[in-house]
Amino acid sequence: MQDIISVKELNKHFKIYKHHRGIMGPLRNLATRESTLVKAVDGINFVIQPGELVGYLGPNGAGKSTTLKMLTGLLVPTSGEIRVNNHIPWKSRTEYVAEIGAVFGQRSTLWWDLPVIESLDLLQHIYKIPEDRFQQNLGEFRELLELDPFLNTPVRALSLGQRMRADICAALLHDPKLLFLDEPTIGLDVVAKERIRRFIEHINQARGITVLLTTHDLSDVEKLCKRVMIIDHGKLLYDGKLDLLRERFGEKRQLIVDFVEEYEIISIEGAVIADREGSRITFHFSGQDITASELINKLSAQYRIRDLEVREPDIETTIRRIYEERLLE
Amino acid sequence: MRLFWELSKLAFQRQLTYRAATLAGLATNFFFGMLRASVLIALYHGQSEIAGMTITDAITFTGLTQAAIAFLSLFSWYEVMDSVYTGAVSSDMLKPMNYFNFWLAQDSGRAFASFLLRGLSIMIAYALLFDITVPQSADQWLAFILVLLLSWLVSFSWRFLVNLAAFWTPNALGIARLAFILSWFLSGFFMPLRFFPVWFVRLCYLTPFPYTINAVVEVYLGLVDGQALAAIILAQIAWILLLVLAGMIALRAGVRRLEILGG
Amino acid sequence: MSHTFNIYRHLISVNIRGQMQYRVSFLFDVLATALITALSFGSIALILQRFNNIAGWTVYELAFLFGMAETAFGTMDIIFSGFDPPYFGRRVRLGTFDQMLLRPVNLVVQVLGSQFILRRFGRIIQGSIILLISLTHLEIQWTAVKILMLPVVFISLVIFFGGLFIIGATLSFWTVESLEVVNIFTYGGTELMQYPMEIYPNLIRTFFTYILPAIFLLYYPTLYILDKPDPLGMPPFSPFLAPFVAVAVFIVAFAFWNYGLRFYQSTGS
Repeated sequence: MQDIISVKELNKHFKIYKHHRGIMGPLRNLATRESTLVKAVDGINFVIQPGELVGYLGPNGAGKSTTLKMLTGLLVPTSGEIRVNNHIPWKSRTEYVAEIGAVFGQRSTLWWDLPVIESLDLLQHIYKIPEDRFQQNLGEFRELLELDPFLNTPVRALSLGQRMRADICAALLHDPKLLFLDEPTIGLDVVAKERIRRFIEHINQARGITVLLTTHDLSDVEKLCKRVMIIDHGKLLYDGKLDLLRERFGEKRQLIVDFVEEYEIISIEGAVIADREGSRITFHFSGQDITASELINKLSAQYRIRDLEVREPDIETTIRRIYEERLLE
Repeated sequence: MRLFWELSKLAFQRQLTYRAATLAGLATNFFFGMLRASVLIALYHGQSEIAGMTITDAITFTGLTQAAIAFLSLFSWYEVMDSVYTGAVSSDMLKPMNYFNFWLAQDSGRAFASFLLRGLSIMIAYALLFDITVPQSADQWLAFILVLLLSWLVSFSWRFLVNLAAFWTPNALGIARLAFILSWFLSGFFMPLRFFPVWFVRLCYLTPFPYTINAVVEVYLGLVDGQALAAIILAQIAWILLLVLAGMIALRAGVRRLEILGG
Repeated sequence: MSHTFNIYRHLISVNIRGQMQYRVSFLFDVLATALITALSFGSIALILQRFNNIAGWTVYELAFLFGMAETAFGTMDIIFSGFDPPYFGRRVRLGTFDQMLLRPVNLVVQVLGSQFILRRFGRIIQGSIILLISLTHLEIQWTAVKILMLPVVFISLVIFFGGLFIIGATLSFWTVESLEVVNIFTYGGTELMQYPMEIYPNLIRTFFTYILPAIFLLYYPTLYILDKPDPLGMPPFSPFLAPFVAVAVFIVAFAFWNYGLRFYQSTGS
C-alpha cells in the first residue's frame, strides 16, 4: 500500500536572537543581531501507512508539536520533504487542509462567542460538506461524544473536556482521511480521557482514518497505539512496535510467587530472585532468556505454588529510562 | 510607605523591559510631533509672535505635548478597569494599602519611566533638531517641575475615577474611551489653548483637563508667572483634592456594590 | 468565488453578532469615534477663526481633505479591521492564526472575515458630514472628470490604507513589540493627508512622494478638483495617479504578505 505520510530528512531550525539588556539594549539588538540556532526538528525520516494509529512521544520541547505543525502545513520546513496524501502541506494549503482534521489540544478552533452547534454549522459551509453527509456525521458524533448537553452553549463557557470533544467533532465532520491530534487528553480527568480514547479508536477502526497523536500521557499510547515514535532533541529515537520497545528497554519482567511453604530456593536458570518476603518470592527475568510459562513450569515441577502473578514492566518507567539514560542514541 | 516604594519600583522596571516597544513609540511620537510642528509653522506664516507665543514656543509646544503622551497616559489607561473585570481587584483590596495608593504607586513608577524614556528623549531629539524654548531661571525650572508633578496627580486621579465605572457596568470601556477623548481635546493637547476663541478657553477651564497639559506648557514656556502661576498651582491642588475625594466616594460605593453582587 | 464570498459573509455575521453582545459599550464606542473626528475638525475650524487659512487653504478647502481622508480611512478601518496591525499582531502572538491556516479558505478572506469593527462607523458618519459641508460651501466648477474623481479617490484611499494595514500586519510575523511604528504610516498617513502637503519639510514630503506616494492619493486630486495651482511643480498628470498608486501599493502589500507567511512561527504549544 502507498504511504499516506512520508517524511524525509525533515529539518526545522529556529534562530533565537540574543537580547541585550540595559537601556541601549534595543539599539544593540538592531545593530548586532547575534543569534543561536535551535534545531527543533533535526533530520527526521518516517512513513505511515493508511489506517495506522501512531503515537508520537517525547518530552517537552522535543520537537513533537513542531513536527505536527509542519505536517499540518502551519510551519514551513527549513529543509527536507513532507508528502501527506500526495500533497506538500504548506504548498497546496487550501486543498490539503480540506482532507485532514487537526486538533491542537490547548487551543480551540471553534468560534469563542458562538454556541457549539453554530460553529459546526459554519464549518459545514467552510468545508462545503453535503447536507446529508453532515447530518449523518453530526448525528453519529453527537452520540459517541455525548455532545447534546452543551450543543447550545457558547464555546467560551465549555469545560476543557467538553471543548475537546466539540473540537474533535469539528475536526471530523468533513470526512478527513487523516487526523492529527496534539495532546488530545491533556488536562482531562480519567473518565473524560477514556471517552476520548474510545472515540479515537472507533473512528480509526470503523472509518479507517489514519491517526497521528502526540501525548504526554503514556496510558493513551498503551491503550491506543500499536506503533510509537519517540523524539527527543529533534531527533527520532525510536520508531516501531510498542511491545518491542518494552522488551528491549523495559525493566525485567517480574514473576511474583506465593509458595505454600518457605523454600530455600535453588537458582532457576534465566531468572534471579529480586525479593523475598516469607513465602513470597519475586523473580526478575527477561523475555529473551525464558518465557513466563517456561519459568512457571520449572517452578511448579519442583515446588508447591499457591498463587502467582506476572508483572509486565511499566511503559512509563521504560520511556522515562529512555529519555533519562538516553538509551537510544 | 515601603510597599509604595516597592510597587513603584516594580512598575518602573516593568516599563524598562519593553525596549523595542519604547523605541517604536518614540519614533511614532516624534513623527507626529513633526507633522504638528509643520501645521503650526504654516499657521504662523512668517509672523514672529501670536497670542504671546513665538514660533519657537509653538514648536516647543508640539515637543512638550508629544513628550507628555506616555508620561500622562494620555490616550488610554484601563488597568483598574481590567483588574475589576478579571477579578484581581478582590485580592488587591486585601493588600495592606489603600486601593487608591496601590495604583498611585504603580502609576508613579510607570509615569517616571515614561518621563525618562519617552519624555526626555523626545525633548532631547527636539533640542537637537530645532531651536526650542528652555526655561530661563531656576525659579521657572522649579515652578515647571512642581506643575508637572501636580499635572500627573490631576491626570492620575481623573483616570482612576473613570476606571471605577467598571464597578457598575460591563461596558465601562466605551465610557472610558469617551472620557479620554474629551480630556484629550479640552486639555490643550491639540493646539495651545490661547489660540482658541475666549469662550472655548473658558469652557475648557471649567474642567480639570487644562491643568494637565496646558498648564505645564504655559509654565515651561514662561507665559505665566507671579499671581497667574500661583493660581494655576492652587487650581491644580484643588482639582486633585476634588478628584481624589470623588474617587474615594465612588470606590466605596463600588466596593459595596461588588460585595452585594458577591463578586 | 461565490463560495468564498459566502464564507466571508458568514464570518462577518458571526463577528457582528459577537459585538452586539455588548450593546451599550458599542454605542459609547460609536459616539467616541465620531467625537474624535468631530472634535479634531472642530478644533481646526476654531483655530482658523484666528488664522483664517493654512498655507492659503480656507477652512472649507481643508474640510475637503479632512472629510475625504477620514471617511476613506474609516471605511478601510472597518473592512480591514482583521489586518489592523496590533489586532493581527495579538493573533500571531497568541498563535490563533493557526486555526485560519487549518481551514480550506483563502487566508486573506479569513483575516478580513475575522474582524469587522462596526463601532468605527462613527468616523465615517462624521467624516462624510464634514465632506458634505465642504462640498456645499465650496464653489467647485464641476466637470465630468471631477465628479468621477470623487469615487475614484475614495476607493483608491481605501485600497491604499488597506494595503498599509496588510503590510503592518505582515510585519508581525517578525516582530510584535515594534509594531507601533506602523502607526506612522497608517494613522500618520491619514493625519498627513488632512493638510496641504506643501506645509511639510522636504524630507517628509520626499518620502511620501517617491517612497510611499501618498501625495497622489488625495492632495493632487484635490488641487485639481478645487482648481488650485500646484506649488510643488509636479507633472500635470499627477492628479490622476491615485488609482494606480493605490493598486501598486496593494499589490506590493499582497506580495509581502505571501512572502511573510513563510516566516510565521506558530508559537505556544
